[in-house]
Amino acid sequence: MQMWQKLIIVAALTTLIVMAGTIVFFNNFAKRRLIISTTTSLYDTGLLEAVEKDYEAKHPSVDVNIISAGTGIAIEHAKNGDADLILVHSPVQEKIFLEENWGVNRKIIAYNYFTIIGPQADPAEISGKTANEVLDRIVAYGDSLADQSGQTKIWISRGDNSGTHAKEKSLWTAAGYDYAVISAKPWYANVGSGMGHTLNVANQLSVYTIADIGTYLKFYSEGTISLPSLVTEEESLLNVYSVMAVNPDMHKHVNYDDAMNFIAYLASPETQQFIGNYGKSDYGQSLFYGTVQPLKDKAPQPIVGWIQSAAFIEGSECPPQYRNGSAELYG
Amino acid sequence: MTGILDGIIEALELIITGDPVLYGAVFNSLFFSGVAVILAALWGLPIAMLLALKNFRGKTVIQTFFNSLIGVPTVALGLFLFLIFSREGLFGFLGLIYTPAVVIIGQAVLITPIIISIATTALEAVDPEIINLARTLGASESQASIAVMKEATNGLLLSGVASFNRAIAELGVVLIVGGNIVGLTDVLTTAIAQHTAIGNLGLAIALGIILMVIVFSINAFIVLARKIKTLFYGLNIPIFNLEGKNHENSL
Amino acid sequence: MKTAFELHNVTKNYGNKTVLHGVNLKVSQGEILALLGPNGSGKSTILKIMAFLEGITSGEVYFENEGVSEKNSEVFRSQCTLVFQKTTLFDTSVYDNVAYGLKVRKVPKNQQEQAVKEALKIVKLEGFEKRPAKKLSGGEQQRVAIARALVLKTKLLLLDEPTANLDPKNAAILEEVIAKVNRENKTTIVMATHNMFQAETLPHRIALIDEGKITEIGTPVEVFGKLSKNLARFAAVDNTFSGTAQLTAEGTTLVDLGGGVRVEVTAQLQGEASIFVNPQDIILSKEAIHSSARNTFKGKITEITDFDSLVKLKVDVGKPFLIQITKRSFNEMALNLGSDVYITFKASSVQVF
Repeated sequence: MQMWQKLIIVAALTTLIVMAGTIVFFNNFAKRRLIISTTTSLYDTGLLEAVEKDYEAKHPSVDVNIISAGTGIAIEHAKNGDADLILVHSPVQEKIFLEENWGVNRKIIAYNYFTIIGPQADPAEISGKTANEVLDRIVAYGDSLADQSGQTKIWISRGDNSGTHAKEKSLWTAAGYDYAVISAKPWYANVGSGMGHTLNVANQLSVYTIADIGTYLKFYSEGTISLPSLVTEEESLLNVYSVMAVNPDMHKHVNYDDAMNFIAYLASPETQQFIGNYGKSDYGQSLFYGTVQPLKDKAPQPIVGWIQSAAFIEGSECPPQYRNGSAELYG
Repeated sequence: MTGILDGIIEALELIITGDPVLYGAVFNSLFFSGVAVILAALWGLPIAMLLALKNFRGKTVIQTFFNSLIGVPTVALGLFLFLIFSREGLFGFLGLIYTPAVVIIGQAVLITPIIISIATTALEAVDPEIINLARTLGASESQASIAVMKEATNGLLLSGVASFNRAIAELGVVLIVGGNIVGLTDVLTTAIAQHTAIGNLGLAIALGIILMVIVFSINAFIVLARKIKTLFYGLNIPIFNLEGKNHENSL
Repeated sequence: MKTAFELHNVTKNYGNKTVLHGVNLKVSQGEILALLGPNGSGKSTILKIMAFLEGITSGEVYFENEGVSEKNSEVFRSQCTLVFQKTTLFDTSVYDNVAYGLKVRKVPKNQQEQAVKEALKIVKLEGFEKRPAKKLSGGEQQRVAIARALVLKTKLLLLDEPTANLDPKNAAILEEVIAKVNRENKTTIVMATHNMFQAETLPHRIALIDEGKITEIGTPVEVFGKLSKNLARFAAVDNTFSGTAQLTAEGTTLVDLGGGVRVEVTAQLQGEASIFVNPQDIILSKEAIHSSARNTFKGKITEITDFDSLVKLKVDVGKPFLIQITKRSFNEMALNLGSDVYITFKASSVQVF
């Protein structure tokens, strides 16, 4: 046999050994993997990493693997069976995900608010206005600019199909605009990237954008960006986070048991409290608020009402047909 | 500006204190890229030997094919591999997505054309009589091939280094098929992207510094090694003395 | 005497070109056989077949009376070795070059060291072990190549123009070595050569090869004696020409070589003749020189081969003459390819057959 033929056999064998070794390792020797695909805001604020550490300490046989990608990609991962669990904040997409049977056992676990930020001088005069008024003023200001060549931007969008992007689109629609028309405006910029990058770009260009409060506060408090929050804590800016397990009937291999265990863990009073306290010492305010107890107590209002109207599906956080026999999760 | 200055100071702190996330990514980077180079060399060398030492129909086509593969954007390759290794993909049943194995395979696929291209050039540059010389001195076909490879040591080392640099500096493939899972598939580049995006400038800078140091020191080592190679004549340094260990008809 | 190697009716094709036509050749054990023939006559191909580097298209090959085929050629390959015309060295130390064949034969390390030392001594390169082989002079490099072959102590040693690219000092060392290993180790040697003196003195037998056929074979005396015209016709050796001799009124002879070249010689003869001029006996100049020498021709330099202290030039004066001058003269005369030069030699330095 010639040298190159021997080498090819060695190469093929080595490749097989690497692959087989990994498969055997993950199936037999490694901890059980729980792959969570998540929206960036939960990860980028550091909350999920803190939760992961706490969960792994309590469940030493489980290795939590977090893939931080944005709601759109998280849902795609789940559909492909590449994740066991998703953490997202886009009720419209979540509803479709459940209806198409990709996911089960949705649980609303936290909320906070989106915030609209912009330059300190606020040339569009949006401070303190409602979301609808804000968008009206942005459009009026943008259209009034002398430069309509596309060089001057006043609004930056994630443009990445994330939960934040979905929220932005729904706000434009609610304010009576056609998103396709708005996104084609010369003053409208699309960065197609994560929240952190979008904030950096907005800060560099000194323009308006919509952000989740958690990521925004982290960047703002560390001095990475200087744009102030102009509008927040308003019903239309409510941001509701949910968790869903990937339906084991759709993907036989998913780690459904640990996914369910993790959902129960997130909904537990201790974790809910942990979520509510996260970031208080660093940012002087909570980044997220737990939802489990307020939804049970139906208080405080009007927030519970806002959550119900924004994120409930068929009047429930998870309609019975999607509960997969885990009724206890919904008390 | 203060943000950047603070970031650099924090970066140095993290490097000195041995931050686990930082050094986890460093280890992963070195490990994945190292194994990827070994794999790619194993795939690439026989192909390079065929291209350099044999004449056959369609050789130019294959050579052109591999040369053009060098230019494929890594994100495109990442997506392609994702479609193959995702649970819904051809090899999805293996469950390799988001594991180090698929990162290593991805990087190896990425750098194989580089290895093939540089190694082919290096082997072609070897005096064509070397193979006959080895034969007439009693070498088996395998030993004669090794003699040719040994003559091309510099070029082959260069192909390894160039591809290692490409692998360790690569982002698209690792991010897409590895998922940047902290402690499992996060490498220097994905961690830099991640921590820049979420505002952890200090960690991002520290990662960047280490990445540069690795790339520079490997290149410096190779320049140095080639310069002082002649000093090692007569000493039995394995890297320059490949044929000693290989016996006839053994792998 | 036992047969070391036999080619029986061997034909070799490269593509649709036939380079050997039914060659029959028997090499006896312990003899030195020289292959003489012009470039492209098939000498190197015969050597490569004998070194088992090339297969044959048809015919039979016997190594010590055993039939050789594609399958068992790798076994025989280790029992002979070939030194190429173009010095080829591994890019490593002298020691590693010379020891290569021993390493692949898995000779124990201490024996390797001893054998390498002896081989380097034979080629007068003692103490060169750790030197980078490719940094040596051309002559030294070729001697390393010879040592690398000698160290194997193979029964059959094949040499392709072993001294073609060497200055006389290195060539003399090598000729001495070749004679010595043949005498002391009874090594069978087959060599291709262009060198007149080498062909006359070293080999026991000479085989003339022309267009892929062996035309004559015999002792040097036989071949150079009886077949001189043939020898010169196909320019098997340098500066050998054939032509028509004509007595002149002065009592000398003019040999017309064709191409307008008429060489004056001291011997007296008529009719067909072959002549040889030693490259060292030719004077090279940029202007025509007036001297007692009877032969002066103008020509152009067509080939320059550079050695350590010497330069060999091919000058086309209508016939190609090989001339050997020192490197220093070469540099001082500022010669280039295409330079117009004159060559001059005495009538008495022309050997006539």
